[in-house]
Amino acid sequence: MIKLEDATAYTERCIHGEPASCSYACPFHLDVRSFMERAAAGKWARAYKQLREATVFPFIVSVLCDQPCRKRCQRTLLGDEAIAMRDVEAACVRYVKNRKPQSYAIPPKQERIAVVGAGVAGLSCALNLAQKKFNVTVFEKADTWGGALRDHDRFAEFADEFELQFSAVKVDFRYNTGITSLEELAEYDAVYVATGEGGESFGLLESWNPELFTTAENKVFLGGMLTGATLMESIAQGILVSKIIEGYLQTGRAALTPDMQYDKNYCGRYLDHEDAVSVPLVVASSPDGYTEEEAKQEAARCLLCDCDKCMAACEMLKRFKKTPKMIAVEVFADTQVNPPYSTRSLTRQAYSCNICGYCKSICPEDVDIGSLLQLSRRVRMNAGVHPAALHDFWLREMDFATAGGSYTAAPRGKNNCEYAFFPGCQLGAANPEYVLKAYAYLDEKYDCGIMLTCCGAPAYWAGDDKRMEDNLQNIREGWEKLGKPVLVFACATCESLFKQFLPEIERISLYELLARDDSIVPARPFAAAAVFDPCNARGEEGMQQGVRKLAEKAGIAVEELKEKNRCCGYGGHIRVANPSLYDEIAHNRVRASEKPYVVYCVNCREVFSLKDKEAVHVLDMVFGTGSSDRLPTLQEKRENSLEVKKKLMSGIEGTEFTPEKHDWDDLVLLIDEETQKEMEQKLISAGDLKEAIWLAETTGKKFFDESDGMCLASMVKPVITYWVQYKEAGPKTYQIHNAYYHRIRIREEE
Amino acid sequence: MTEKERKWKCGKCSQVLTLQKVVFDYLGHTFSHEVPACPKCGQVFISKELAEGRIAELEEELEDK
Repeated sequence: MIKLEDATAYTERCIHGEPASCSYACPFHLDVRSFMERAAAGKWARAYKQLREATVFPFIVSVLCDQPCRKRCQRTLLGDEAIAMRDVEAACVRYVKNRKPQSYAIPPKQERIAVVGAGVAGLSCALNLAQKKFNVTVFEKADTWGGALRDHDRFAEFADEFELQFSAVKVDFRYNTGITSLEELAEYDAVYVATGEGGESFGLLESWNPELFTTAENKVFLGGMLTGATLMESIAQGILVSKIIEGYLQTGRAALTPDMQYDKNYCGRYLDHEDAVSVPLVVASSPDGYTEEEAKQEAARCLLCDCDKCMAACEMLKRFKKTPKMIAVEVFADTQVNPPYSTRSLTRQAYSCNICGYCKSICPEDVDIGSLLQLSRRVRMNAGVHPAALHDFWLREMDFATAGGSYTAAPRGKNNCEYAFFPGCQLGAANPEYVLKAYAYLDEKYDCGIMLTCCGAPAYWAGDDKRMEDNLQNIREGWEKLGKPVLVFACATCESLFKQFLPEIERISLYELLARDDSIVPARPFAAAAVFDPCNARGEEGMQQGVRKLAEKAGIAVEELKEKNRCCGYGGHIRVANPSLYDEIAHNRVRASEKPYVVYCVNCREVFSLKDKEAVHVLDMVFGTGSSDRLPTLQEKRENSLEVKKKLMSGIEGTEFTPEKHDWDDLVLLIDEETQKEMEQKLISAGDLKEAIWLAETTGKKFFDESDGMCLASMVKPVITYWVQYKEAGPKTYQIHNAYYHRIRIREEE
Repeated sequence: MTEKERKWKCGKCSQVLTLQKVVFDYLGHTFSHEVPACPKCGQVFISKELAEGRIAELEEELEDK
């Protein structure tokens, strides 16, 4: 079981949905992004409402704001001028149809608050508190409001703004009433002193707390230009103080709630806008400011800076349309369900992730959604509530590779070695020559043994900790037996898992070793090609550079792909869980370049080959092995693995390897091309069909059709029920007509 | 002959299959459905059409829960 924090810890650094840099610079923390979005759409009423709520006096702000936001406008990163914030605000104030303030139906409150000073700081605080239906009295020694603004040329307009904004609230204004001592205000529950620059501070400036605006005097708050704030800061402070006072009146304590806290440092948090296009500032055609159309155009220049890098790049995240933080909550929520009363919401997504790490590699904050979804798989596997059929095929392959297909040996006549080749289970399965020729080379050049087994990737991707750990233990023991050699890797997935789980083992890439050898001149299948780096080779410089050097030695003009180390689709074994997503990913990777690919992962090669993308494995170039041959079937892959083991064993030990024999091995299946293709696509191997037929024929448990002798049999293994429709074509020979499976279990008779 | 026209019989009991209520299990969910089965030994017949159609849909629904 996990706690909510265990899941949310993965995404706590995610900045998606957080305010943009300009909003952090804004004294009002206006959500500039959504304001501009509304303005660009001409939704002036909604834009104005937002501006009014944030600034209280939108007209004054649209005239006088010094626009610190513009210094943090990310459009300037493109060499453009910052968005003309104030001009768009002015247009919003001008073009909105109704500026009448709203009156809120809130029950009146008992508490009385005194505001000393009717400048912008005092007025913004008084207005906000009055809107909340507190009893507010403003004391002003002059005969009118406005404070420092009274000397401004446009004061008449500002006075109209005050009139308008106070029109929906009740505030007791007492002009010509200077306060000389706080004792005069003893009857009030809270006091806000905002007497302006050089104004009366009642000796409280020294004890003033600039964060909470409190003073040594309980219930007395202080702010505005009296404390050195600018005009805009004074308005913003008044708004903030009103909220602090409200909290103080409710709890007896002045405090900042999380929504009041803003880290100014984040105004320097920029995104990269690599695909953004430069657009020049919209210049107003009239000295009065923007026309409505011009304002919309200018607002549309806003880049709406929000980080969605992972969600824009990853096909899986795009498809499920959930933000990283939502995913984290669902990872936890899925562990709390109690079917059928509540159901999970993340299963398909959790098992649709390639766990390729691309999201993390492009995230400015290193958030790793893959690891988060891996956690979901692990938690569910440990709790026994995982959809086992989604990974069953590969776990069975792993069992085969770590049992019948595994072999660990030092070089001929030796007990240990300096190096050992760890080809991984798929390399020899794809083509035995890859492993045999590579080992022959390594054996000749180095003191090199062999470790044929699976690295555990199927268990890792299935979230099977136990199977993973047992396998690591076996690998560790084999490696120790060989005298702790440096392992030579041909598969990036193996190497990445060793890096993560067996860091004590020194690693080197086969491609790096081959690239060092000047006597090797690889074949040149293409004049120009793109190197397709597998996802798990990310950060593996030796491997990546080794392959490039080999390609260059071959005389290939190497092109670099724009997006590095993207998964071909194979990663995470998502194919059963989400076939259409798998297909979409493979489709996109094939189109990452028009050039053919040089690959160094046999899984990538297989995926591309099935998509008819021209691709050659770098080992084909080095050893002259044929990559254009048809892909081996699932059954042939197993046979290839056994052949590798047999030949290596015979070469190293001079002994004959006899694979485990099954009663059904001698059956001959006749499978036409179309049925074979269907079987491969459904991950049904001929070996399983042989076993099912053998069981049916020996027990009689099958169905048959007398008219033509057609038979149908099924076999459960271990969570999937395989069905095979076949006809006897000769002694121990069967023509296969159909093969299919289902995951649901038929409950056997009690 | 199409697959639908086939007259399957139980290989053990030589009985013509009849529709019978059969219980299915998947991921902790249990439900019953009428499918062809041997009236004598109860051996259950699942056609390709059923396996790759309705059953596959149901499997996906239950996996998502």
